[in-house]
Amino acid sequence: MQCSTRRMGIMTDVHRRFLQLLMTHGVLEEQAVKRLQKHCYKVHDRNAAVEKLEDFINNINSVLESLYIEVKKGVTEDDGRPVYALVNLATTSISKMASDFAENELDLFRKALELIIDSESGFASSTNILNLVDQLKGKKMRKKEAEQVLQKFVQNKWLIEKEGEFTLHSRAILEMEQYIRETYPDSVKMCNICHSLLIQGQSCETCGIRMHLPCVAKYFQSNSEPRCPHCNDYWPHEIPEIFNPEKEREAGISTSNKKSLRSRQH
Amino acid sequence: MPRGQKSKLRARAKRCQGRSETKGLGGAQATAAEEENSPSSASPLLGDRSQNLPTAGTRSTPKSPQRAAGVSCADSNEGANSQNEESSDESYCEDPLNEKVVLLVEFLLRKYQAKEPITKADMLKSVIKNKKYQFPEILKRASEHMELAFGIDLKEVDPIRHCYTFVNKLDLTADDMVIDEENTPKTGLLMIVLAVIFKKGNCATEEEVWKVLNLMGVYAGKKHSIYGEPKKVLTQELVQMKYLEYRQVPNSDPPRYEFLWGPRARVETSKMKVLEFLAKVHDTTPSAFPSCYEEAMKDEEERARARIEARARSSAMATARAKAKPSSSSCPK
Repeated sequence: MQCSTRRMGIMTDVHRRFLQLLMTHGVLEEQAVKRLQKHCYKVHDRNAAVEKLEDFINNINSVLESLYIEVKKGVTEDDGRPVYALVNLATTSISKMASDFAENELDLFRKALELIIDSESGFASSTNILNLVDQLKGKKMRKKEAEQVLQKFVQNKWLIEKEGEFTLHSRAILEMEQYIRETYPDSVKMCNICHSLLIQGQSCETCGIRMHLPCVAKYFQSNSEPRCPHCNDYWPHEIPEIFNPEKEREAGISTSNKKSLRSRQH
Repeated sequence: MPRGQKSKLRARAKRCQGRSETKGLGGAQATAAEEENSPSSASPLLGDRSQNLPTAGTRSTPKSPQRAAGVSCADSNEGANSQNEESSDESYCEDPLNEKVVLLVEFLLRKYQAKEPITKADMLKSVIKNKKYQFPEILKRASEHMELAFGIDLKEVDPIRHCYTFVNKLDLTADDMVIDEENTPKTGLLMIVLAVIFKKGNCATEEEVWKVLNLMGVYAGKKHSIYGEPKKVLTQELVQMKYLEYRQVPNSDPPRYEFLWGPRARVETSKMKVLEFLAKVHDTTPSAFPSCYEEAMKDEEERARARIEARARSSAMATARAKAKPSSSSCPK
């Protein structure tokens, strides 16, 4: 098959600026990505028609493919917002963080990561993470310092904090999914619908299969009697609403759309 | 579960190895394959690197709707036969340096984002390793990729010590940074903190910042009607948005923390603007703070100079590009 893996897109400064800025931000929500794209056109090519985002990104990815780099699209686990990050596929590790953190800090992240993956809810409590401080490699770290390091992870969009508990930011999921699946093959959870990594979600109490909240929302959309896709038992959880960007723009007018699940952490 | 990227990679590498008969390379890859399955406890930078080789062109990926980034026809090649891999293997094998080029680009991108300088020694140790003699070729190709894909140039600044630095061919300005968030009413709070930092010699301890904020009725841990919870705003939100830097005072025990201007603050505002804000608050003029005023003036001069240079550079590049090639928009995909 004469493959279009060889189909090369064209890179212009529009694309390069887009990539640089996406890289700077780490991860961006779709609305911001669209604004970014328009902005890049404005700077370099005012008169050109702004390409559809999906095509724009596919174009970029075809050029980046030979570098094993990709603009990857994901979805936030708590409220289904589309997000984008520049992801490196050549190495599967947490090396992306290596330049910003010391050895003991990286090890703290690994410990938190392990607790998060092993947990039922996808969250690890601050206390449990801090109790592992003695087991860290590298320079000795005290709990007080560890608290600050955890905050640093939040600032750099690797973790999200909610009421004293930590889970993975969508950035971490996008960048490290491969690493996580390879490092924790036994404890990692997967979504029954989209078959990708699951940290937070709902599970069937009978057969144990799991689904992301946005996947649940889409799967059971306008279904008055939601049933488990695997064992057909009644689905016992509240069905969240699908993220709708139009409704978001009217925010403040109607609060009945917002479920308590939503937290603007991203 | 679809065939993992790494197993495809190993298979490809072995085929490549067989053809090129580089025994040394084979040895390295064999041990890499063996070590690969154990979770890496070594330094993520070096330890993992030796175990992870770039994947073959046809990647297998989980078929999830989340993967919008279409990798050309990789998915349709999924069930594909070795025949396809064989033909692309040949071009891959003609290119045994390719792996190192890819890893070097990743390394350079990380250094670029961290704003760290790079040395040849660094690159040899972290990436090049056993391919020392091909360093110039690998570096050349990696630089070309960086330039083509990202518009970032790698320049050797010290030919004796082999130090390199990055030059961004694109001129990033304040406009570029204001992308990702909705309007924030925290501007007032931010300006005050920036002013405190500036006044304290461009670095203020956390205590110094809170002292000033407390005078205004803003306290850590006490939710404010406009600003929300101030400590969270200062140490998380504004840091995440790159307006502030928050770090531990070096060698402080027990740990104490300090604030500095973040890169975005440096781009979006200036010492002079912050000084003007401060002056207004005190109902006076900027010149009432002589040492700050002098520093702000110098800063303004430097900014003006940088703007002029950048404009000259970009207009020169634009004319060069216009002369050099046909319009890119006419190229078919």
